[in-house]
Amino acid sequence: MLQSLGGGFGVALAPMNLLWGFVGVTLGTAIGVLPGVGPALTVAMLLPLTVKLEPTGALIMFAGIYYGAMYGGSTTAILLNTPGESASIATALEGNRMAKRGRAGPALATSAIGSFVAGTIAVLLLTVLAPLVVEVALKFGPAEYFALMVFAFVTVAAVLGSSMARGLSMLFLGLLLGLVGIDEQTGQMRFAFGVPELMDGVDVVVLAVGLFAVGEALYVATYQSRQREELERMSGSLWMSKDDWRRSWPAWLRATAIGFPFGTIPAGGAEIPTFLSYAVEKKLSRHPEEFGHGAIEGVAGPEAANNASSTGVLVPLLTLGIPTSATAAILLAAFQNYGIQPGPLLFQTQSALVWGLIASMYVGNVLLLVLNLPLIGLWVKVLMIPRPVLYGGILVFATLGAYSLHQSVVDLVTLYVFGLLGFIMRRRGFPVAPAVIGLILGPLAESQFRRALAISQGDPSVFLSHPISAGLLALTALLVVVPWLVRVVRERRARRGPLARAPGG
Amino acid sequence: MAAGRPGARAELALSAGVLALGIAAATVAFGLPDTASYARIGPNFMPRVVAGGLVACGLWLLAEALTGGWRDAVPESPAERGDHPACWRAFAWVTAGLFAQMALIHTAGFVVAAAVLFACVARGFGSMRPLRDAAGGLLLGIALFLFFVQFLNVNLPAGWLQPLLGAAGT
Repeated sequence: MLQSLGGGFGVALAPMNLLWGFVGVTLGTAIGVLPGVGPALTVAMLLPLTVKLEPTGALIMFAGIYYGAMYGGSTTAILLNTPGESASIATALEGNRMAKRGRAGPALATSAIGSFVAGTIAVLLLTVLAPLVVEVALKFGPAEYFALMVFAFVTVAAVLGSSMARGLSMLFLGLLLGLVGIDEQTGQMRFAFGVPELMDGVDVVVLAVGLFAVGEALYVATYQSRQREELERMSGSLWMSKDDWRRSWPAWLRATAIGFPFGTIPAGGAEIPTFLSYAVEKKLSRHPEEFGHGAIEGVAGPEAANNASSTGVLVPLLTLGIPTSATAAILLAAFQNYGIQPGPLLFQTQSALVWGLIASMYVGNVLLLVLNLPLIGLWVKVLMIPRPVLYGGILVFATLGAYSLHQSVVDLVTLYVFGLLGFIMRRRGFPVAPAVIGLILGPLAESQFRRALAISQGDPSVFLSHPISAGLLALTALLVVVPWLVRVVRERRARRGPLARAPGG
Repeated sequence: MAAGRPGARAELALSAGVLALGIAAATVAFGLPDTASYARIGPNFMPRVVAGGLVACGLWLLAEALTGGWRDAVPESPAERGDHPACWRAFAWVTAGLFAQMALIHTAGFVVAAAVLFACVARGFGSMRPLRDAAGGLLLGIALFLFFVQFLNVNLPAGWLQPLLGAAGT
């Protein structure tokens, strides 16, 4: 492992790769700072670059965008009270209060240093864990992979988010879009209706950019463009006092312990661990009265948690080929553009690439600490870009990304249709991640399913006779049934409740 | 019954939409030929499962909409969501920009289309300086055009600016 990692550093420190890593983390910080642009959208818009760049450099850059965005998001959350990313919502709670009390400096510092500490520990864990998971995964057959994918689908769609019905609707929509085009095994055309642009399938760039960029722009224009925003001044020293340090570091470590495991399971990204970390800090704090008025633990924890979880997401992505968040799904699409399928074999066939990628994250976290602490003033300027200019630019980039796929207006029309869909989804609370994950992972799940049945000669009990596959499917069923039962019982009790209590008033 | 509740109509319409999509998908899926080779699972199996899933979700959403509304629905009042009342003029400007781009990209070229899109979107977001926005969009369009054509070797239509950009083309 150490030897592999050493080789990885050789790759990551090669001048060109170092440059791509730097471009990635810088871009990541910038889009993390900007509200309305997230890492999933950015990587999707940059996917056309894969035709030109060699895989190692491109993937180092894409990964840099992903974890770099987690650093940048805190700046917006603290200074603007509008989270730059969904992963920074928890940071905004205390961070903005600190800024209002003239403590923006320490809030930004504890975010940046906490992100660095958590990011670096998480990469260490990734380095140690990945080879172990690979060893287990090498024993997986198609049945196990299929069960794992079903588990990922259901947790992302049904367990997370506010509504199981809406989450599953979006998952099936994504799966349906994934079926469009030529069936790889038989050459059968499905859901293409003779439209040449549909024969290659629905491109993830069009779906992701439509939902994230066009849908978001339509929503913000309609419902949020007439609001005034208050940018807090970058006041106070960046230095943290002794007391700030004393209160921050346990929060960083606890948050890493919460964030990393959450990233590795299919839990749909960084929102849950950040809120969990916030709750834990609030509970353990010796100054609970400060929460709600700018408690530094409430910034340190969530910011460290989102970085740890974003790195944790790479464990299942690299070792199993299972994306657990929208951004991870798009990273998977980037691998596929190069004809590389992430999974245990990746560590053997593409050892230089995968260890180069992991090593680049050690380097990237150091670069990010430098970018986000001494150069924070630069990002505050980025934050001041007027919204009309920002969204005008986003849509020019977004449409270019979709148009450049086939130089076809059809893609622009599809993009707008997905944009309308994204607008309605946002307004009515449909989650986006299940649709993107369904589109990317659906075709892989189908091929594993058919392969498993081909091996068992059509006997469907194969999914239940293999212990790992059976266990995963049972766990999946539990995850759906238990919350539903709890809800039914609670609703029934609530219906009876008011009547029972009525006489007492 | 539920129809009086704010947002009920939208919920009913969207539930019906999911259901209709499921039924449409099922129609296509059951029309696919069964070319299963030896494992009995052909290209028409997954489409049927997915169509069935959509139908089930549609019915589920419909049932929720008819019995007191979708669970954990997004608040109907903009203030509760942290939004302001809907400004459909802004929505129309962004839409107009995107349609103008579709219409212009193959005639006027990528750069002009990008400038029009940029100006329309900026107008939708409340900017009152259309000429300055168009100029900004033009510069961004030219920069992207050069980057894509020269560095990525991806062809973009030069259109009306062919005389100006032609030398940069391939």
